[in-house]
Amino acid sequence: MASHDQAPRSWMLWAIAVAGIGVLTGVLILSLASARLEPSVLRVFLIGWIVIPYVVGGLVAWWRRPASRLGPLMLLTGFSMVLVPLQWSSQPLLYSIGHLFDMVPAALFLHTFLAFPSGRLTGRWERVLVGSAYAITLGLHVVKVMLGANPNSVFSVLDNVTVGTVAEGVQLSLIAVCLLLGAARLYRRRSGLGRHRRPAALVVDAFGLALVMLALLYVSGIFAWPFIEIIRLITFAALGLAPIAFLFALLDLRLARGDAAGLLVELRADPTADLQAPLARALRDPSLRLSYWLPDFAGWVDQTGAPAPFPAPDEHRAVRLLDRDGEPMAALTFDRSLEDEHELLAAVLAAAAIALENGRLRAELRARLTELQSSRVRVVEAGRQERQRLERDLHDGAQVRLVALSMELGLMGEDPATDPDLKARLLNAKEEVWASLTELRDVAHGIYPAVLSGHGLEVALESLVARAAVPVMLSVDLDERPPEAVEVAAYYVVSEALANIGKHSMATSAQVGVRRHGPRLWVQVSDNGAGRAELRNGSGLRGLTDRVEALGGHLEVREVDGGGVCVQAELPCR
Amino acid sequence: MSMSRVLPSSPSAPPIRVAIAEDSVLLREGLRRILTGAGLDVLAAYDNADDLLARCRAETPDLVLLDIRLPPTHTDEGMRAALQIRREYPTVAVLVLSQYVELGLALKLLSESAEGVGYLLKDRIGDVTEFLEAVRRVAAGGSAIDPQIVSTLLRRRRRDDPMQRLTPREREVLELMASGTSNAGIAGRLVITQRAVEKYVSSVFDKLGIPSTGTESRRVLAVLLYLRS
Repeated sequence: MASHDQAPRSWMLWAIAVAGIGVLTGVLILSLASARLEPSVLRVFLIGWIVIPYVVGGLVAWWRRPASRLGPLMLLTGFSMVLVPLQWSSQPLLYSIGHLFDMVPAALFLHTFLAFPSGRLTGRWERVLVGSAYAITLGLHVVKVMLGANPNSVFSVLDNVTVGTVAEGVQLSLIAVCLLLGAARLYRRRSGLGRHRRPAALVVDAFGLALVMLALLYVSGIFAWPFIEIIRLITFAALGLAPIAFLFALLDLRLARGDAAGLLVELRADPTADLQAPLARALRDPSLRLSYWLPDFAGWVDQTGAPAPFPAPDEHRAVRLLDRDGEPMAALTFDRSLEDEHELLAAVLAAAAIALENGRLRAELRARLTELQSSRVRVVEAGRQERQRLERDLHDGAQVRLVALSMELGLMGEDPATDPDLKARLLNAKEEVWASLTELRDVAHGIYPAVLSGHGLEVALESLVARAAVPVMLSVDLDERPPEAVEVAAYYVVSEALANIGKHSMATSAQVGVRRHGPRLWVQVSDNGAGRAELRNGSGLRGLTDRVEALGGHLEVREVDGGGVCVQAELPCR
Repeated sequence: MSMSRVLPSSPSAPPIRVAIAEDSVLLREGLRRILTGAGLDVLAAYDNADDLLARCRAETPDLVLLDIRLPPTHTDEGMRAALQIRREYPTVAVLVLSQYVELGLALKLLSESAEGVGYLLKDRIGDVTEFLEAVRRVAAGGSAIDPQIVSTLLRRRRRDDPMQRLTPREREVLELMASGTSNAGIAGRLVITQRAVEKYVSSVFDKLGIPSTGTESRRVLAVLLYLRS
């Protein structure tokens, strides 16, 4: 166990395998030579049933996942079982040593199962639990033997069977409690696993079952239940099955590596596809999230370019930073249980690397589009507010003064004391003021349709339609007022379309329809004129397209069957 | 025109009692001067709609004169107050003044009835005589719709336009009629007899196919709706 973090040399693994075979052969010889406990063929078989899967599983795990301590831990567990048959020896010391280590495997099982998959215990609580298990199976065991729980042991000091039996009862109860607590821990961990992590869940199930059975075996030992042999058989079966489930899970991951190859093919076939979904499929983790680092924005975004905070790793989620030339490029957030599947992760990431730069460029493009869109919204909205303010200034300033002036001139003109010649000049002046007022009114109204703010689209359109060059059929169907920015855009669409009809269409009538359909406002202006659509697609309509699209809407100008043009705008009412 | 026309025609009749709501001091005081000078009784002049409404609750004036845009938001406060007064105090005549005239608002004001309603551009105040005439007409239960609304509606081109069948004189009568002028008023303006006005009016209604509506104020809405369609 000297080098967990680097791959074991193959000769080491071979040596361990040979040692395993050697030890098993020794156990077999011992069992044949032993006359003491008449070990049956079944007992020899059961020892082999535990040792072989753990040694094989440990070797495979160490080989395939050198970074995990699970392999060495499984090997240790497997070999610890070979000390148990020493109890079959008629040699007192060998027997006593075998008996001394009789229960250590229980602590090792608990340790191995809780340490799955990284080989390390997580959290103080687990370390305390496993530490207690070692103390109970080794420390308390020694005390129990010294007190005289087993008169045949050479280590027996007190030789008081009663005290020894009580000590044994306490020991078995305590270890049963430890094992059950470990099983409960595994149960909690299993419910934390996503449904998509099926192989891992299977392994955890097998481990939990083995721990519960082991606890049951010890409890039945305390009370000397008659069916203890059956429980022992089931327990050994479960303990032996656990590493087999683990091997199956490993095999399943080997199969999953095929997904990495599939990912490569998929990315080659369509290099412009978004990466997140294929990655999630290849790693079998639908909760997987891909985020990109955009240096120009100095921030993280998701693949749609929307800002996404850099995800912090937690109990369930692991984060892998992908960089290039030391610069962060992307980050993957995935189910923590995947972290153990180094090879799969490495294979998938290697496959994804070819498309990562493209993916980031796309995310950046989308982020810029969003930025552009929102700045366009800001520009249009700022323009609208500025126009509203200007109109208001004119209304409350110049227009009022001119009205007051015309009133003053009117009063002077009405005064009988005024000289007739002066009266004529006053009338002239008043008419000049009126002309200015009319011009100013047109300017102010053009700047902002103030009637909109106070009275809404229907009233505003009524006046617009009244000023149109042709009779217009107006139909407005709105339950509630849309946001003012949307009303203004709709107003300008109608205004511009009606102006175009007056200028270019030779139409004799027009129709204006405004209605709310779900979250969108539809505005339609059509006429019975003859003009081609492109002829009427003047600069005014182009300006409108900007205004409509800035609000996330869409403007369309098309010819109508049987003559005439239809201008249609669709505006989201957010 | 002499000031004598501006003065009350019969000194024995009680003066028209007016309440004003206009947020510009210049215009508010100007209106007070014009109305007082013409012998009308200006009960109060406010810069907001709420005070005007409170005044109506205390003592109803004969006529309220109000700006369509009033504080606090300068959007629809004046219009709302006007509609509320028409609803709650049917005997109070309402004359709305505005920098713009909007057909939609005129139709809203007239929708219940055109009796005692006026909607004029502020510019009209400068033509003191005509303005006072409109004030008196509205106070007496008539109506006054700004000629600008009517002339805008008349400008448009139509297919098979029945308007083209009107003589120039009939057209003048139509415009005056739509802005709320009474037959007597039209007669005075066009210097013809009232009898002649009545003939022109029925001829216009015939040619346009508008059903004859009887009262002078009701025909305002009928003509406006006709012109709009």
